[in-house]
Amino acid sequence: MRVLAAALVLVLSAVPVLADGTVADVDRRALARLQDPPLGLPMVVPQPADNRATAARIALGRKLFFDRRLSHNATMSCAMCHVPEQGFAQNELATPVGVEGRTVRRNAPTVLNAAYQVRLFHDAREDTLELQILGPLLARNEMANPSAGHVLATIRAQDDYDGLFEAAFGEPVSLRNLGRAIAAWERTLLSGDSPFDRWRYGGRRDAVDAGVKRGFDLFRGKGGCTACHFVGGDDAMFTDHSLHNTGVGYRADVLDRRAAGPVPVQIAPGVVVSLDRAAVDAVGAPPPKDLGRMEITNDPDDLYAFKTPGLRDVALTAPYMHDGSLATLAAVVDFYDRGGIPNPNLDPVLQPLHLTAAEKADLVAFLRSLTGGNMAELIADARSGGVGNLTAGTSYDREPAR
Amino acid sequence: MSHQETPFRAPRRLGKHLSLTALNLTSLGLAAAGLVLALAAPPAATPARADETCQSPYMAKITGNEEYIYVWTLGMEGVGDESDKLVTIDVRPDSGTYGKVVASVSVGGRHEAHHSGFTDDRRYLWAGGLDTSMIYIFDVHTNPGKPTLHKTIKTFVKDTGGAVGPHTFYALPGRMMITGLSNDKDHGGKSALVEYGNDGAFIATHWIPDPKDMRGADGQANADGYNYDARVLPRKNVMLSSSFTGWSNYMMDFGKMLQDGEAMKRFGKTVTLWDLHTRQPKQVFSVPGAPLEVRWAWGPNHNYAFTTTALTSKIWLIKEGDDGKWTAKAVADIGDPSKVPLPVDISISADDTRLWIDTFMDGTARLFDISNPEAPKQIYQKKIGAQLNMVSQSWDGNRVYFSTSLLANWDKKGADNEQFVKGYDWDGQELKHRFTVDFIKEGLGRAHLMRFGASSLYSS
Repeated sequence: MRVLAAALVLVLSAVPVLADGTVADVDRRALARLQDPPLGLPMVVPQPADNRATAARIALGRKLFFDRRLSHNATMSCAMCHVPEQGFAQNELATPVGVEGRTVRRNAPTVLNAAYQVRLFHDAREDTLELQILGPLLARNEMANPSAGHVLATIRAQDDYDGLFEAAFGEPVSLRNLGRAIAAWERTLLSGDSPFDRWRYGGRRDAVDAGVKRGFDLFRGKGGCTACHFVGGDDAMFTDHSLHNTGVGYRADVLDRRAAGPVPVQIAPGVVVSLDRAAVDAVGAPPPKDLGRMEITNDPDDLYAFKTPGLRDVALTAPYMHDGSLATLAAVVDFYDRGGIPNPNLDPVLQPLHLTAAEKADLVAFLRSLTGGNMAELIADARSGGVGNLTAGTSYDREPAR
Repeated sequence: MSHQETPFRAPRRLGKHLSLTALNLTSLGLAAAGLVLALAAPPAATPARADETCQSPYMAKITGNEEYIYVWTLGMEGVGDESDKLVTIDVRPDSGTYGKVVASVSVGGRHEAHHSGFTDDRRYLWAGGLDTSMIYIFDVHTNPGKPTLHKTIKTFVKDTGGAVGPHTFYALPGRMMITGLSNDKDHGGKSALVEYGNDGAFIATHWIPDPKDMRGADGQANADGYNYDARVLPRKNVMLSSSFTGWSNYMMDFGKMLQDGEAMKRFGKTVTLWDLHTRQPKQVFSVPGAPLEVRWAWGPNHNYAFTTTALTSKIWLIKEGDDGKWTAKAVADIGDPSKVPLPVDISISADDTRLWIDTFMDGTARLFDISNPEAPKQIYQKKIGAQLNMVSQSWDGNRVYFSTSLLANWDKKGADNEQFVKGYDWDGQELKHRFTVDFIKEGLGRAHLMRFGASSLYSS
């Protein structure tokens, strides 16, 4: 099966992108990952029929992903919230800030292994990577472009994009090709071959220690984690691609709003003060509402339901939950040990687990074993093209090129 | 330069804050020394009477009353044209428009206008946008009462190799030393000092030492790579840089950030000592709690500087000991640190005896006696408004100006979001109100950094 898939991709992949007719090493590696995904990942990387990866598309997508000019005021690229060195997510904030510092409600999910996601965003409102990019590009609190046409005009106005869309797609930049290029690059961010994979799928008994093995037993046993974080016989994405109410959304939207006590604030390493809530409120806008999946379906049963994330590389992607409200994996395990947060729509799968301290530690050890063995390659390849910034030839108030 | 020494008054065109007693020529590069010598004028008997006290010693100095205040102002949604602008307030004592806005130059769009600084010849005012990294260079000499936009640098991030958020603009001979606050890789706090020529051409980037790349400096255990302000003491051939936080934090809603445990871990905790001539970082001091403004004492034997930490609310003294070694230590609390009054701008008097400190959260100006730099004591305070950020005092200490805006998304919300510039006289005992410009009523925006201008600088 793996061989067949690899052959299929090879046939479909156009190759040369460099002036001398060769493929850059970074793109060769990206294509190789698509053709032969790292251990533990499904052998066939889903690709739409009209967007088979090529070196030119991958290279273009990577360039676009790191281009801060693609936001309205040239400050935000995709990579500013999906930082390679931070698990292609964002460790330094619970939830991101967008153009002009505008508040984003939800934690930046990792782009790693996005190729296997069947629904995108925390509320699962999008179903293809090709379309997903339109969301952040146009969201006022993310990249804030005033229109889709403005995005295209911005790209056309940059000399360094001359000919790249034509080479990748045989036609000039368009909304369709913009989405296709970025999706082609994102699909190559395949992270696997973790210590867990080498043990579970590679047959290497010594790839993980006893704690990890005990943690995995808990994960699929007493912990009941595999009810939502699926693990297959040949591979694992650790998600059911579905949505659940764990109470995190309820806590933020209902319980936290009722809080009246002081706010603990770390003002220096090891120094925490309690600030009057009134003082904090004086300098903060009220937190925006977040109803989860219900915002998409208008179905009350979907209130505070959010998508099950995959768990690969989870040790790299703190903080956790859709709102970044849990700082550590230990805190996440504690959360599920308590059975989530009671609320009218709490998913019944969540029940108190009564884990011992040792069992919690084993679960964390297991989660830490899910970090991909090829992470250094992914980061280096991602950074190979640099960051797109305004150049002398770029007008900040640029007019659409026609 | 203190009032105790005899300052020299330079010709108006070329007046400098820098005196020969303040400059150890042997500690500077020959080129810089030569330039300063060429520009310096013979001493005169009349002491300086005006100008800000916190400027570069290399910069031309107003020798009479300041005439204009240039206020680098953030555009505010729902106010006027919603764009950043340079606002000019007339403070000529005998003017019919004293205390009024006499000019405003909009740059179009919001860029998180923050700080500004004159070139050494004081003919141009460089003003930066912490968000978009745009730099606007205003001509303030052709008509000091009506500055014009002379040039825009749009390529700061590209030029510098990834520094984001130009903050301090500090005049060095023929060039500007600019502090960046963030970077284009992750919008975190790792950043750099950057030099541009007065002509607007990029010269060099000097990354702040961090644990992974100390660049030859001592203090690896302290280092964080963060940046904020930079100030020099030429006669000791040293420069200090301080540390704040990255783009993600300074652009974020303040209340949201205070409740984001991850974000609050990302504040500067260092002051870095540099060799001024070589730009070599020498030592990184531990100064936790976001040390912001750096102010060197002026006295010829005062080998020390102050900074204040925004989050931990302390005054820190960075001082050269008798053994020639530099140290940093906390010497006083500002207000009640447990309530985080958030000290922001500070202004040192020309005689090194007083330090104004604004605390943002309670809108209060506080005056400290720093005659003994090891033990500052607060001797006066006055609530200026619901929020307060910048303070600028005249060289003679008789006039003090205040403005309100800290950062667009850190300013208070609702009715407490007052935006003003207020002028006061200081008689040594009391601040006496002279004027208020309401920046919202005037349709201007959020008032931030104030710089002084005067036509006397450019008259022959």
